[in-house]
Amino acid sequence: MMEKMIFGRYIPVESVIHRMDPRAKLIIVFLFIFVVFLANNPMTYGLLGVFTFIALLLSNIKISFIIKGLRFLFWLILFTFLLHIFFTKEGELLVSWGFIKIYEGGLIQGIYISLRFFFLILFTSLLTLTTTPIEITDGLESLLNPLKKLKFPVHELALMLSIALRFIPTLMDETEKIMKAQQARGVDFSEGSLTTRAKAIIPLLIPLFINAFKRADELATAMEARGYRGGEGRTKYRLLKWDLRDTLALLILIALSVTLILLRN
Amino acid sequence: MKKLGVKAFVAIGMLSAIAYVLMLLNFPLPMFPTWLKIDFSDVPALVGAIIMGPVAGILIELIKNILDVISTGSETGVPVGHIANFTTGLLFVLPTYYAYKKVQSKKGVITGLTVATIITTLGMSVLNYFVFFPMYSIFMGFEVPKLMVVIAVAPFNLIKCIMISIVFYVLYSKMQDRIAKMRQAF
Repeated sequence: MMEKMIFGRYIPVESVIHRMDPRAKLIIVFLFIFVVFLANNPMTYGLLGVFTFIALLLSNIKISFIIKGLRFLFWLILFTFLLHIFFTKEGELLVSWGFIKIYEGGLIQGIYISLRFFFLILFTSLLTLTTTPIEITDGLESLLNPLKKLKFPVHELALMLSIALRFIPTLMDETEKIMKAQQARGVDFSEGSLTTRAKAIIPLLIPLFINAFKRADELATAMEARGYRGGEGRTKYRLLKWDLRDTLALLILIALSVTLILLRN
Repeated sequence: MKKLGVKAFVAIGMLSAIAYVLMLLNFPLPMFPTWLKIDFSDVPALVGAIIMGPVAGILIELIKNILDVISTGSETGVPVGHIANFTTGLLFVLPTYYAYKKVQSKKGVITGLTVATIITTLGMSVLNYFVFFPMYSIFMGFEVPKLMVVIAVAPFNLIKCIMISIVFYVLYSKMQDRIAKMRQAF
């Protein structure tokens, strides 16, 4: 569980996609959610598939690893597929076997919708696989910057996010330690009725809260002693750099969208 | 309402981290499908709201969900589940806070939690039916038998809210003096 917390799903390998600016990745993933819906015939779905798989290959992450992470979704996709096959009654009747009737429309719909879902998940998971949570936070802060004009506390939100990210491993450690201490005294966190479980969590929560507030106090004092005074005029340790490859990636996505619009029915 | 200072921001960050860790310690309920899981991640948001005000509660719910999206991504590509979780959190935390604001004692907490449980269960049923299930259908091309699922999910939400209420109530009664002191400090 520890590993999972600290790095999320990030896989530290060298690749063009890892080196991309997190802002570019965020924009592209966000736009892709809509681009997926442009496909509606074999040509467009094929193109979308090629695009997704090229992106996967460029990320240098083993395909088998990604597929392993999708095992749960595989069933969901299969279920959706079967649902469409059996319950969409459009087009020609292809198979009639007892009460099972498969129509052409249903088969095509099933395939399309499963593919769309599959591409969407593969592509969006690339973001968390190739970008560390802290990079995503920096990217979000920079992208949301215009919202400052509307009094939205962008800097503060990013600050809270990075503080949380910094302390998740510490708190995980602490949680584990307290849980083990409780278990040594005979508390069982994984068994028992719901009320027993609810009760078992309280001796865990109290020290966590008290320590968190103590730490918050210390950290806030330390920040103020070092002259922290909000986002205005602050210099940064981690700088984001928008490169040619980021512009290029964005242009490729735009080109893909235009082609999809031209090719769709 | 007071403006939140540096100390409050740091504390919100810490409470969000606790909420995130608690979210990972989730478990399914017997008799319910395994994707409906119970966790106590709303408790830090309640603590934050009562000590630092409603904005803190909202921020903790928001940051907890952002943390989960940016570290593990969303299972369905589009974070519909996270948006639903955030909404559930708000429906639960805000009524509790406002009831507590009126009566700052155990009585206020009990009233708040009871009202919040009812609001969350009913509100989430309505929102699931009109907002979240249709959203799932759009992104996953997956027609949910809406009414049936709403009827199945409502008791789950009710049990979840009751469990969180019990935990928060016990926690509050043990930490009452400390909470009162901390309210002064922020």
